[in-house]
Amino acid sequence: MSPVEESVTDFERNARTVLQESVLRIDARTRSRLNQARHAALEAALAPRSSWWRSFTLMPAAGAAAAALLVAVTLWHREPAGELPVLAAQAASVEDMDLLTDSEGLDLMEGGDGSFYEWAAAQAENGASDG
Amino acid sequence: MPPAVHGDVDLTDSSAQSRSRALNQFLASVELRAFKIAQAGLRHEDDALDAVQDAMLQLSRAYADRPAEEWKPLFYRILENRIRDMQRRRTVRGRVIAWLPHRGEDEEDEPDPIAQAPSLEPQPVKRLELDEAMGALEKALGGLPRRQQQAFLLRTLEGMDVAETATAMGCSQGSVKTHYFRAVQALRAQLGEFYL
Repeated sequence: MSPVEESVTDFERNARTVLQESVLRIDARTRSRLNQARHAALEAALAPRSSWWRSFTLMPAAGAAAAALLVAVTLWHREPAGELPVLAAQAASVEDMDLLTDSEGLDLMEGGDGSFYEWAAAQAENGASDG
Repeated sequence: MPPAVHGDVDLTDSSAQSRSRALNQFLASVELRAFKIAQAGLRHEDDALDAVQDAMLQLSRAYADRPAEEWKPLFYRILENRIRDMQRRRTVRGRVIAWLPHRGEDEEDEPDPIAQAPSLEPQPVKRLELDEAMGALEKALGGLPRRQQQAFLLRTLEGMDVAETATAMGCSQGSVKTHYFRAVQALRAQLGEFYL
């Protein structure tokens, strides 16, 4: 026996009848939508969950942390053991960037144009002997 | 030992497939009453449907592995939290909308033919009596404080005992008894001993 029925008054019994009747009268459209909602919930529950590290919510934070770590490690390794000023180190890194982004430099390297270097060396030697 | 049964749900089978079936059975067994309870709290059909759907989703995702006998109080606890959230959001929205210019009712949808479909109904005279009683009860329920309304509906409509109701409401059994008693007193004062 349900505890609700232990000592229910006529009022409670009638109220229960009325409420149950109102449930029976729920229209077909609402029943259909509830049915769809239930199946959607069960499908979501059965779908495999992605691991925490794949979670979209954590990706921006993880990306930012990784980028910060990379920058920190790069700067730490670039900093010379000696007393080179920070500005010099920054200038050197800017030059490095120029070299890397300079398409001419890459063309020379890829072309394997050794004669240019020979010519440049000869020019330097001639200059030194002339001078 | 006989199998533990919760309503129509067999609680002894633990495989994932059977668990899903059991959860489906459980949700199917409560969804209509849950909808009525949400509707009483929100007084809006679409909001009530959303609240029930959210509660189903959260129960399925987070508590499907819990023993099935815990599902009902957990489900109604989730549903109640959802109803409360929606009520709060609606209050805030209402304050914001009060500052906005009035919009017309042009966006009213066409009547849905499925919504007009008749359901199983009793004889006309009895139906009229029930209609009146239903209208009066729903109106009186709407005037109750939310906790009283919740205690009354969970116990009277859902048939939960005091302990289950206390878990669903997140309060002591003594509080449930108090809320329920006050609800019955208030409803009876408004409706009298309405006989069917």
